[in-house]
Amino acid sequence: MGNKQTIFTAQQLDAYQDCTFFTRKEILRLFHRYRDLAPHLVPLSYKDNPDVTIPYELIGSMPELKDNPFRQRIAEVFSEDNEGNMTLDDFLDMFSVLSEMAPRDLKACYAFKIYDFNNDNFICKSDLEKTLLKLTRNELTPEEVNLVCEKVLDESDLDNDGKLSLEDFQHMIIQAPDFLSTFHIRI
Amino acid sequence: MCFSGSAQGRSFSFHTSPLQSHYQQDPFDSPDVQRRWEQLEILQMKSMERDQVTGRPSLINVNPYENETGYDNPVFEPSEDDSYSTVSSVKDDYRHQDSSYIADIYRKAETSIREPAAAQRRRTIGVTMRLASLAGLSLSQYSLPEAELSEEERQDKIRFIADLAKLSYNERMKTIQQLTMSIEEKREIRDQVQQRIGPDAADTDVQIHGYTQLLYKLLFSLRRFRENMLICFQSVHPWKRSLKIIGGKFGTSVLSYFTFLKWLLMFNLFSFLINFSFITIPQFFDMGINNATFTGVELLTGSGYFTQTVFYYGFYTNASIQANPTAQMYNMQVAYFLTIGCYMLSCFLYLVYSMAKSFNENFIAVGILSGDAAKLLCSWDFNITNEKAVELKKRNISRQLKEMLSEKMHYHRHLSTKQRILRYLIHLMAWIISLGTTFGCCFGIHSFSISNFKIIQKNPTEEDLYKQASTLMLPFVVAIVNLFIPLFFSFLGSMERFKYPRDEMYVLIIRNVVLKMSVIGVLCYYWLVTVANTVECWETFVGQDLYRLVVTDFIFSLLGSFFGEFIRSIMGTHCCHKLGKPEFDIPRNVLGLIYAQVLAWIGLFFAPLLPAIQIIKFFIIFHVKKVSLMMNCQPPRKAWRASHMTTIFMFLLFFPGFLGVLCLLGATVWKWKPSKLCGPFRGLNVPYSTISHFIDVIQDKVYHLHWLVWCYNNLIMNPLFYFILTIIVFAIIYLYSQIIDGRKLMIKLLQEHISNEGKDKAYLLRKLNSMKLKMESSKEKLHSMKISDEFIGHLEAKEKSEDRKPTSLNMKNMQDQDVISNQNTEQRSNSPNVEGDSASALALALAAKHQAELDPNE
Repeated sequence: MGNKQTIFTAQQLDAYQDCTFFTRKEILRLFHRYRDLAPHLVPLSYKDNPDVTIPYELIGSMPELKDNPFRQRIAEVFSEDNEGNMTLDDFLDMFSVLSEMAPRDLKACYAFKIYDFNNDNFICKSDLEKTLLKLTRNELTPEEVNLVCEKVLDESDLDNDGKLSLEDFQHMIIQAPDFLSTFHIRI
Repeated sequence: MCFSGSAQGRSFSFHTSPLQSHYQQDPFDSPDVQRRWEQLEILQMKSMERDQVTGRPSLINVNPYENETGYDNPVFEPSEDDSYSTVSSVKDDYRHQDSSYIADIYRKAETSIREPAAAQRRRTIGVTMRLASLAGLSLSQYSLPEAELSEEERQDKIRFIADLAKLSYNERMKTIQQLTMSIEEKREIRDQVQQRIGPDAADTDVQIHGYTQLLYKLLFSLRRFRENMLICFQSVHPWKRSLKIIGGKFGTSVLSYFTFLKWLLMFNLFSFLINFSFITIPQFFDMGINNATFTGVELLTGSGYFTQTVFYYGFYTNASIQANPTAQMYNMQVAYFLTIGCYMLSCFLYLVYSMAKSFNENFIAVGILSGDAAKLLCSWDFNITNEKAVELKKRNISRQLKEMLSEKMHYHRHLSTKQRILRYLIHLMAWIISLGTTFGCCFGIHSFSISNFKIIQKNPTEEDLYKQASTLMLPFVVAIVNLFIPLFFSFLGSMERFKYPRDEMYVLIIRNVVLKMSVIGVLCYYWLVTVANTVECWETFVGQDLYRLVVTDFIFSLLGSFFGEFIRSIMGTHCCHKLGKPEFDIPRNVLGLIYAQVLAWIGLFFAPLLPAIQIIKFFIIFHVKKVSLMMNCQPPRKAWRASHMTTIFMFLLFFPGFLGVLCLLGATVWKWKPSKLCGPFRGLNVPYSTISHFIDVIQDKVYHLHWLVWCYNNLIMNPLFYFILTIIVFAIIYLYSQIIDGRKLMIKLLQEHISNEGKDKAYLLRKLNSMKLKMESSKEKLHSMKISDEFIGHLEAKEKSEDRKPTSLNMKNMQDQDVISNQNTEQRSNSPNVEGDSASALALALAAKHQAELDPNE
């Protein structure tokens, strides 16, 4: 089993292993990454399940997320309170979904949530506009943005309801094989 | 909204009841209640704690049975049950219709009505969704925490957990890992599943044998072992950090080159291990004495000292080896043959497997939908962590979007017939020139190799240095060709002015592959025809040539990254700012890797330890390229479909690369006569006869292996067997192609179906809206009709009584009323036509308005 660790109990580690795509070592490494964000907040032992939340400002300043235009959405989607403040569980969950091991459907589901800015379970035109704004450097004129949104809806909206449902989105993901390798944050 | 209404009613009704008081009645007085208590024992409702934490006192006791502190108020039960059943039946219906989103929306509405201020717990999902999420299609948010789950949902959850408990450990964990919910909930489900399994397992342990226990323990330790192995493997996982840095700075496209390099390195590692352990180690027991001295030039030429080492074919013995007099014999011939054969076979299978997988992932839905807009949307590279790279990526995406928008215009820019013919002529010319260049190069290499060979053979006794230098000439020429002709092709491609940059890239790749493969083909011809017939130990000679080729290729690729990237970058940043920093040329570099790998594969037979050189080479190339990339290059500006291209490169590695090598080695083994005085196959007609000799030996001496002999005679040597096998394979292929056709048709039909469904939905919605509008307007009319009736009645009554004047109303209103009442009386006289008249409708509306104004006054 290697060196003894004092952060988690064996049961906790087992549970984490069963619920994420990580090995023990990676979980411990992620814990240390988490703790490094706020050493004064996070205790060195999680054996008694302390109720610790790291605010979004610190999460968003991680080098892995710092320059990501979607960092706030990612943090919101994965955090329990939906405001980007994360517990260790949320943190592990986030990197588990964004890891290499996560299957396409799971990734697609969370990507859908990330792009669904207004949380209405559909990617509608306003969501698309917001996504486009984040993806580009304000170089597109409003008409161009509008055109692109219409084109996207035109291409991917299979049931013609004017917005993208999860199924539409998954279908779209299948068309873009790079998604699997790009929706991935190396830790 | 009946749904939310009922729910609201439910929660209101609970507010009136004294819930917190302890119950006096026996909770098990009804069978129904008892059933629920039983369920409670199974399901530990952790949600209670959560609710206390988030602090929503009004919601805690929505379901009294869930309250562990107490249960009371059986009076409430019937109505309670009713509301539950309606709720659950509605939900049930939705679930059966498999449109869980609607249910979700309803539920969301419900929450927002109940607790508009409280933050919605988006990540918690209903059991319905959990079940659906097994199929990977659920959207988990927007539903209620468990405290608000209905009985039905809890049942579902129990069923789900029971289903999970039936699965094997690995499957269960995989399912739980793939659920779209937070870790907390996953852990809860996991705990419950384990609770469910736990007692059962313990029971069986007690009842059944100790052996079973042992088995469990064994399985458990096996699992642990596997996990530990995984951890070990990941800790030696090379270059994880480097890959992260590269990905962060340059994105997935450049990263794909490095992952490809790593993948090839693993191939070579495997082949080195297998060759070393099955061919080289046994040979160590039968070492001759090496008289040659080591001077250092050998590292470059591979001859001299190295000739008499395990490095080359010629050194291996054809005898059987014995480690000590009592040990078993090790037949070197068979070992050599089978090792190379097995490696080739496993390589073949692995390549086919990874290629098929890659095709499956990347070309899964080609042709179903066309259009890039959607793809662009999910093209954000989450790997990128560098500010500059982010900026560049954004610029890239905006440029691509702009291009896409202008594509329509671009598409309409028709070329005149003359221009089109001119364009075709240019392409034709470019192809002729490039193929001509390739042919010229091949011819040149061939004649050069023959003349060079004559020099090497003519004066075997002349000074050694000159001879060694002349052996280096051929690899040098080949490397020059490989370095400069692709540059010429790039120049040609840029002159051609392709319509799409993508076409240009494909054409370039094809031309380069044709060039490299024909160069290798010419070399093989030279080895197998010229060298094999004249040189005494020709396999070693070929092995040395291959060694030299690998080494010079290595040197030239280092030089290439020095001049092509370093010098170019200095030029770009200091001398000529217009050039800028160079980009990392992915296709050229990957093709270089494929070429190097093909050389290494060919060399496998002639120099079994060539993979070791290849490993060192790739290792150094990885680091040099990485440093050069970091120092000199900028992130690529062109869009690069990384996984698509990786698939194509894998295919290239397989099709001309690996299959060509297989043909070559097959010819060598089955048709070519091995050299008489050296190597494991000396004295045989063809290397393959090793196997037939071996089978003869088995037939004579080893009786328990007779099945092998039978297999050999009846299967491997039997053309009929191959004939039947081929027919079966063809039949399967035909069957699958038919199935694919059927599926395609099905997909087409289903897509039509989906779009029709969407149209239906839109149509029905429109219809519903118009109906609603109609309904509302007619209702209004009816309403106002009624109002005006009442109003008139009222006025009449007023007039009749005349006990007081309408002081509160002003005169204008009075006049209006008069007009309206007059109109009303008129309308009532011809009442059947009332609705058709627009003027009357207006009047009605006015009357309604006045009535509304009057009401508060009265």
